[in-house]
Amino acid sequence: MSNNLISVKNLKKSFGGLKAVDVHELLFKKGQLTSIIGPNGAGKTTFFDLISGFQNSDSGKVYLNEKDISNSQPYKIARMGMVRTFQLTKVFDRMTVMENLLFSGSNIDNDSFLNSILKLNSQKLYENNLKDKANEIMNDLNIAHMSNSYARELSGGQKKLLELARAIINEPEILLLDEPLAGVNPKLAEDILSLIKKLSESGITILMVEHNIEAVMKISERIVVLAEGSLIADGEPNEIRTDTNVIEAYLGKDDE
Amino acid sequence: MILKKISLRFIFALFATLFSIYLVFLLNSEGAPRILLNLLTFAGIYGLSAIGLNVHFGWTGLLNFGHASFMGIGAYVTLLLMPHAAGREGVVVTTGLPFIAALTLGIIAAALFGLLLGLPAIRLRGDYLAIVTIAAAEIFRLLVRDLESITGGVYGIINYTENFQKYRPSFIDNFSDNLDFSPSQAWVCLAAWVSILFTILFLKRLSNSPWGRALRAVREDEDAVRAMGKNAVWLKLQSFMLGAGIAGLSGVLLAFNYGSLESTVFIPLLTFYVWAIMILGGVGTITGPIFGSIIFWVIISETDRFAYLLFENANGQQLAGVRFLLVGILIMFLMIFRPSGLLGKKEELLLDVK
Repeated sequence: MSNNLISVKNLKKSFGGLKAVDVHELLFKKGQLTSIIGPNGAGKTTFFDLISGFQNSDSGKVYLNEKDISNSQPYKIARMGMVRTFQLTKVFDRMTVMENLLFSGSNIDNDSFLNSILKLNSQKLYENNLKDKANEIMNDLNIAHMSNSYARELSGGQKKLLELARAIINEPEILLLDEPLAGVNPKLAEDILSLIKKLSESGITILMVEHNIEAVMKISERIVVLAEGSLIADGEPNEIRTDTNVIEAYLGKDDE
Repeated sequence: MILKKISLRFIFALFATLFSIYLVFLLNSEGAPRILLNLLTFAGIYGLSAIGLNVHFGWTGLLNFGHASFMGIGAYVTLLLMPHAAGREGVVVTTGLPFIAALTLGIIAAALFGLLLGLPAIRLRGDYLAIVTIAAAEIFRLLVRDLESITGGVYGIINYTENFQKYRPSFIDNFSDNLDFSPSQAWVCLAAWVSILFTILFLKRLSNSPWGRALRAVREDEDAVRAMGKNAVWLKLQSFMLGAGIAGLSGVLLAFNYGSLESTVFIPLLTFYVWAIMILGGVGTITGPIFGSIIFWVIISETDRFAYLLFENANGQQLAGVRFLLVGILIMFLMIFRPSGLLGKKEELLLDVK
């Protein structure tokens, strides 16, 4: 169990009569890039919500580093190193891109009311370091020129980048990406994909929900397929490509 | 360096404010200084309250419609801790804390009331919080009215002003003699504007800090704040407490401006006045409410003239009606033509009514 970073056991969630998630067991290894795919309404986002604490499960357990995080507060889970992005980007619209990043990278000590009144030199130093880090990330993601623009002035794709940048500056151990390529032009999608790959290579464990099958096949080390809330396939991209269950439930309609 | 920071908006706001003060002299051939003092006192007190409200709404996005109750808690706790007389019989309480101690406790009480109200309510979003806060403020007011043995009920609290007026420096008396001012009101006015000055310096320090940034992030998107590992509920509670404390201070000043205090002071209209001032000055700005407040009170205090145009020998009730009308029209015009207020940035428009 030691190299299983996240383990999910008997996780269940229904909305009224609709079974949204019903996963018997699912383990995620440290450092792996896993994609979660499935037809619309398969429960992928709900699954993310459950493990990141944004929704409470009806029953079942989620462990992070062997610690029970089932139904914990989202911010507590995030502090433990599991950071997520959202399907519909949630940037801080009326704050600048820089502020978006500084807020996200700042630790709770730095954010505290007391330290913000005292404004000690240590805080200034911390903020300056944070600014350097933010600039570096913005350069990497080609949004440095937008540093002082309000986040709401960004295009849809740039907002996706900003959300990614915000997650990166948070230095996560695990990154949950909810449709990072949705509504992004092909060129930018390529950039985002290679960024995700780079992040994965740097040792971050990544779980990604994505509809772009081609992209998923290209970069994933493992693919988990959900349909109607349940696990129907789990394996390497090659295995998934030929899995009859998957083709029936999902790929069959899209492919060929 | 300071010059660089002064924006066109600021200059416009300054001119608008100075013009409105000039208007007072223009419209009142007699007793203009006294009218102006009265107006500036109210402007200072309400402006301070609006600055507190701006921490709630402008910084953190909390729709607080119970601001009057925070002012009320501050006022009642402070007054009751000092020597005073209360109730129908005017029961005299001769012992009590010195003014500064009582004031400090009053402000703390207001902040704690913010926490107490916030604990169950702050998880509510948007309009739901507005409904709960306005209800809580009414419950507070009715409780104060009915707990006659403590608060004096409808008969109110009297004989408390001396606790504060005894610290009045002599220069105010000399100054007031010359200008035909009420020295006690001049002292309250000075206290209000000094309070504003310190509050603004304090908030300026906070607004550019990581804490202020975190509050703005909460205003923009709570879910994203949580996803970044920040406790949005605690940030909102802190904001609620800070704004409530500032409101508490303004409530105390309001009580000292009136010679007696009873529960009807804290009707919802008080909250709406403060809202109008905040919107007029610019939501999310720090100094905006000062300008907003002065202009607002010029409008309010010159209403009488306007009312006399509409009604011959307007009585108090008609005057109040006209004031309501004016505040309504003012907010309507602001919403249509300048929702960012006097000092608000267009790009940071915080009142986008969706």
